[in-house]
Amino acid sequence: MKRLLSTLREHQLTASAYLLCVVLFAVATIHTPGFASGSNVRQLLVFASFIGFAALGETIVVISGGLDLSVPWLMAFGGIQLSHWAGSGGLGGFGAIVAVVSVGAAIGLINGIGVAWVGIPPIVMTLAVGGLVQSYLLYLGLGQAAGAVVPHVARAMATATLGPLPVVAIVWIGAATFVGVFLSRTVIGRRLYAVGASDVVAHLSGVNNKRTRVLAYTVSGAASAFAGIVLVGYIGSTYLDIAAPYLFTAIAAVVVGGASILGGSGSYWGTVAGALTLTVLSAMLPLFSLTDADLKIVYGVAILAGVLLSTSGSTMFGWLRRASNRRRTFKFERENVSASHSKVPLPR
Amino acid sequence: MTTLLAAPSAQVAGVTQRHRRIPWSAATSAAILLILAVIDVILQPALLNLTQIGLLLQTALPLILIATAQTLVVLVRGIDLSVGGIFVVGNALTVTWVGAGGGAHQLLILATIGVTILFGAINGILVTSLRMEPFIATLGTWTIFDGIALKILPTDGGTPPPLLQTLILKSFFGLPSSVLLVALLILGWSLLKTSTFGHRIYAVGADEERARLNGTPVRRIKLAVYVLAGLCAGLAGIYAAGATTTGTPTAGDGYILTSVAAVVIGGTSLLGGRGGVGLTLMAALSLTFIADIVTSVNLGVWVSVAASSGLLLLVVSIQSLIARAAERTRG
Repeated sequence: MKRLLSTLREHQLTASAYLLCVVLFAVATIHTPGFASGSNVRQLLVFASFIGFAALGETIVVISGGLDLSVPWLMAFGGIQLSHWAGSGGLGGFGAIVAVVSVGAAIGLINGIGVAWVGIPPIVMTLAVGGLVQSYLLYLGLGQAAGAVVPHVARAMATATLGPLPVVAIVWIGAATFVGVFLSRTVIGRRLYAVGASDVVAHLSGVNNKRTRVLAYTVSGAASAFAGIVLVGYIGSTYLDIAAPYLFTAIAAVVVGGASILGGSGSYWGTVAGALTLTVLSAMLPLFSLTDADLKIVYGVAILAGVLLSTSGSTMFGWLRRASNRRRTFKFERENVSASHSKVPLPR
Repeated sequence: MTTLLAAPSAQVAGVTQRHRRIPWSAATSAAILLILAVIDVILQPALLNLTQIGLLLQTALPLILIATAQTLVVLVRGIDLSVGGIFVVGNALTVTWVGAGGGAHQLLILATIGVTILFGAINGILVTSLRMEPFIATLGTWTIFDGIALKILPTDGGTPPPLLQTLILKSFFGLPSSVLLVALLILGWSLLKTSTFGHRIYAVGADEERARLNGTPVRRIKLAVYVLAGLCAGLAGIYAAGATTTGTPTAGDGYILTSVAAVVIGGTSLLGGRGGVGLTLMAALSLTFIADIVTSVNLGVWVSVAASSGLLLLVVSIQSLIARAAERTRG
């Protein structure tokens, strides 16, 4: 029991994100019982997986103390480039996916080199690289008719089901398990936290900060490109602004999942909860006849409230602990010290 | 007593050091701007004409104002993602409220400005009193403000008040109003920069703890900066409504990252305390010239995007490498 409580305390932010998600889901189900139907849940999982893949790399980058603003453009790149390379006389569906994800990783590598080796602030570096990717996509779009072909593999991945679950959700759960183990159980994973928590301490502990950072951005590039592939597979056609909303949702999922934007804390399972929460929120609003504009407001309020509650929650936790300590100190003082001393303000 | 007397002189020393540093960034920004301006004038000689310059500044002004807002916040070591949101709220209110308001234009414009100031204050309170990270706080308010703008004006449309349109198109003393506005902005910034408030902005950005120990009301300064940023972003929205004669409730998002780019290209440090609106103004004009050059030679939009991003990458790489070299010689 004590162990369970301490694990809960350690992961209180992740736990509260799941709790929020469950509460929202319950509210929607009570309002409209069809919300919990198999087909609707499958749909929600597919939508959540888009955010989940987009936020996978973002989580790792944020843990390492950085930020990746190039996510939406890398997603668009993943989708649009896939339809080009998989087209007639191209690489074929599967080969094209591998190629696109590799190029995504290479672009992420450039982000990482700029941040770690040249010392450019992450916001600026990823913004500039995102701009360059955008200009490439604009160039690519010139010589091409609308409605490019999306390869069959990508379509199948995003729409087919295996047993009760969509294929994409299974891939997502697999990826989440892998990333979860990677972050908490491997040396490289722990180094990411160390670098994010303190550059100097990590360096003095023998961590190669630069290489660790570069790895984070590389993973982010690959994951974003893959997210774009899945997204395009689901939508079935490509356009430039296809991933524009994901700049916001990727960061929002990370933040709702309990990671600190300053680095050094957070987990991918938290981000998974964040992605699910955002998806459930967006799916339940039409039930209460709320529009897109309302959704934006609700998203914003959810982020602000979530962050405020999580910080005030830990403040409250610390306060409770201090209060119990104080009681103990007080008892100690009453037993041992004369009455005049107890007027001295108690240590806080 | 001696320590009390020593404190102001230390402040003065800090100021002179800052002035010694600025010319480098200013020189680079000015050089980039000059090169781009010369290229543009060679390509279209008709540009050397007060009316044409006025029109160019008219297209540049929304970005200039939003980038000004961003600069102020970055100077106190913050970042404001909600400038785009405040921009669209100002924009939407101008074409709905004020446009439909008939006679009472002036009051309703003032009310719109008031709303944008209020939104800036919300950002400021979240960052100062509730101690949120500026990035997260303004990420949240960005989407809230965007949503509010969409509720006011669901699709493109509406009409700005005629008075606003005539003011924007009018010339005063032979100068187009956009030229006068930019001159006004420069004047306002130089007054602000040399005022106590301006010095305090730099002090807070350079080292918050030291500024607090020196008796600077850090929280109040930060709050005031976010309010001022809200005002600038709101004015940008109002101006854009008048200049394009319509409202676009989704136009803001594009400005958020461009404003950060303009701030960085100008040479204002994201770490706070160094830079200024003058630098950002030159950078915003450079970005406008790039777009103008690309359209004048009839190249695709992609060239303009690539050139802006490339310039950003180039400038910031050089800045970082110089900073690194300086660190190495010092250490």
